Amino acid sequence: MATETAGYSPLSQRLPAWMRSKSSIARLAPTIIALIVAVIAVSIYNPNFLSGANLSRLAASSAIPLLLAVGVTFVILMGSIDLSIEGVLALSATTTVMVLQLDPGPVGSVIALVVAVLTGVATGAVSGLLHTILKIPSFMVTLGMWFVSAGLATLLLSGGTIAVRSADLRILVMQRFLGLPLSVWLTIGVVVLAIVFQARTRFGRHVMAIGGEESIARLAGLPIMRTRAMVFAIAGGFYGLAAALAVAQLGQGNADIGEGRLFIAITAVVLGGTALSGGIGGVVNAIVGVLLVVVLTNGMILMGVPPYLQQAVLGVLIIIAVASSTAGKREGICK
Amino acid sequence: MTKSLQFKPTRRAFLGSVASLTALSTLPFSRSAFAQGEKPLLVNSIRSLSNPYHAAWNAGGKAFADSVGLEYVTLVTEGDSEKGVADIRGILARTGGNAVVNVDPNDAADARPIAEACVEAGAHVFTQWNKPEDLHPWELGPNYVAHMSYDGTEYGRQTAAEVIRVMGGKGGLLALGGTLSNTVAIQRRAGLEQALEAAPDVELLDFQVADWQAAKAYDIVNTWLTRFSGQFQGIWCANDDMAIGALEALRVNGMGGQIAISGIDGIETAVQGVVDGELAATVSWDPFWQGSYGLAVPLLARTGELDVASLGKDKREFYVKGRLIDSGNAEEFFQNNFGSEPALAVDDIWARYDSGIPQS
Repeated sequence: MATETAGYSPLSQRLPAWMRSKSSIARLAPTIIALIVAVIAVSIYNPNFLSGANLSRLAASSAIPLLLAVGVTFVILMGSIDLSIEGVLALSATTTVMVLQLDPGPVGSVIALVVAVLTGVATGAVSGLLHTILKIPSFMVTLGMWFVSAGLATLLLSGGTIAVRSADLRILVMQRFLGLPLSVWLTIGVVVLAIVFQARTRFGRHVMAIGGEESIARLAGLPIMRTRAMVFAIAGGFYGLAAALAVAQLGQGNADIGEGRLFIAITAVVLGGTALSGGIGGVVNAIVGVLLVVVLTNGMILMGVPPYLQQAVLGVLIIIAVASSTAGKREGICK
Repeated sequence: MTKSLQFKPTRRAFLGSVASLTALSTLPFSRSAFAQGEKPLLVNSIRSLSNPYHAAWNAGGKAFADSVGLEYVTLVTEGDSEKGVADIRGILARTGGNAVVNVDPNDAADARPIAEACVEAGAHVFTQWNKPEDLHPWELGPNYVAHMSYDGTEYGRQTAAEVIRVMGGKGGLLALGGTLSNTVAIQRRAGLEQALEAAPDVELLDFQVADWQAAKAYDIVNTWLTRFSGQFQGIWCANDDMAIGALEALRVNGMGGQIAISGIDGIETAVQGVVDGELAATVSWDPFWQGSYGLAVPLLARTGELDVASLGKDKREFYVKGRLIDSGNAEEFFQNNFGSEPALAVDDIWARYDSGIPQS
């Protein structure tokens, strides 16, 4: 006992090197290993897993969670959190279907897509401005924004569902190019932009700096308020695009369209190794995290894991991921 | 220093004003809702207005209230049991118990405090879908007028039987259930099992839960297409939203209309799917009717036109009939319910009576 007390070393020093690393890529290692193990395990059980058709389906299933995870990654990199995802999805989906109801043709579909993104940007901007100007913690603001936007969506649709089965917007999901639906190509394009944006622009570095240590970033004269507000708006834009894809996929829009998406998005981000405390991780981490979640959910069904267990497996994973991502962080109190 | 001191009160004042304005702006609504003379207030308490089902329920309540010229209020629990109970207590306090309450309790356990509060205040209450098994209307006296539900097992069986019929009575079947611990989901699944027992040539390949959601159903069916490629001819779903998700997943893979799919609930998009021949069947509970009927019955009790005390137990706790929508009647049903505002059908209160709920 005595030796233990005397020889007390902070948990962070007893952890393997990769856990202590602040490099985003090093933190990816366990996730990539998990992904490879999962892929091998599932394909041994069911060789169809690696078939072209299934890979294409996996890509299609990943598109929406990927957009959400990448959007929320920027917020988490700043050390903030965005809980408004489900509400923003509902509101953006609502504006999308309302435009499509007026004009389901090609012009209307393009406008609907733009409106979806703009709705997301607008709600994100409101969250960001309330957060920065009134100095309300991000989780409170976005929690409020979740209910405000979900409420607005309900009000606009009077609780109903608008079906848009025949709208041209659905080309995004129905039409394939090189074996993948257009929605996947669109997502790939947007995500590549996000990678460049995060790693190669001044704005991206500002985000990392704020998440790393805000007081130093402030002393360095970085535009903290502006950057924070913009990040929430950008994240909203990603959710808006995801909402348009969800409408295209399900052929309908209602206020419940976002249900359950928040959990998957945050799970994926954390599994990818982005630290909830900010400053560590990035878009690439989010991509690997989403792939792991999608492969696992797909794999568990392919392997016939009973539904009772599936949710629990994801829950255990998220706890392991959070444990590994916070233990390596500097010593401090867990709140 | 002085600057920050000035800023703080301003920020407070700003937030304070916003909060007060918000509170004030709701006043006109609340005043009209609570302005009561001797006429009873009609109250519908439901889960949320964001789903088509409860939205139609609310429309039915409103239409009935208009038809009898009474004030009408909708209470929404938003999935929060405490809020549901507290809101009803609030209404009872404000009306002095002069109210008629139709409630779809958020949780079975909520039915007891709600019914007891109503009875104590002298209001008349009618419950639907959820209540604890050991709570019976006759134990609380005539003010707890009745409890009504639908036989989930029976309609789970009917839809499964229809899917199996469309499949030609043989082949592989897949099934999507609702949230695991939910009573309705359990009943509907039991119905599916009954239908499977009656069809020995049909094999249930897999059962997954998609939590009642289209998006989850979409992903699961996508995965099934890999796992059971070419082995299944039917998908049974415990509700319509999941059926729509399943259908869309098949469509994207160029298989729309080739697999028999069933849902339950009778929402507009699903009925449209049956009309288009892409869904095999659904069941309508007729929420518009539930919202009006659940007010009409306790109102009759309140005005003395229905002698509750003389009703047998089988008329105080009963199942009513849902309606199976299949290719034969979908067109006509769509026109009557979604093509135009449904007509009120509360004159004959026993018209849809099925049977008393069996007492264990």
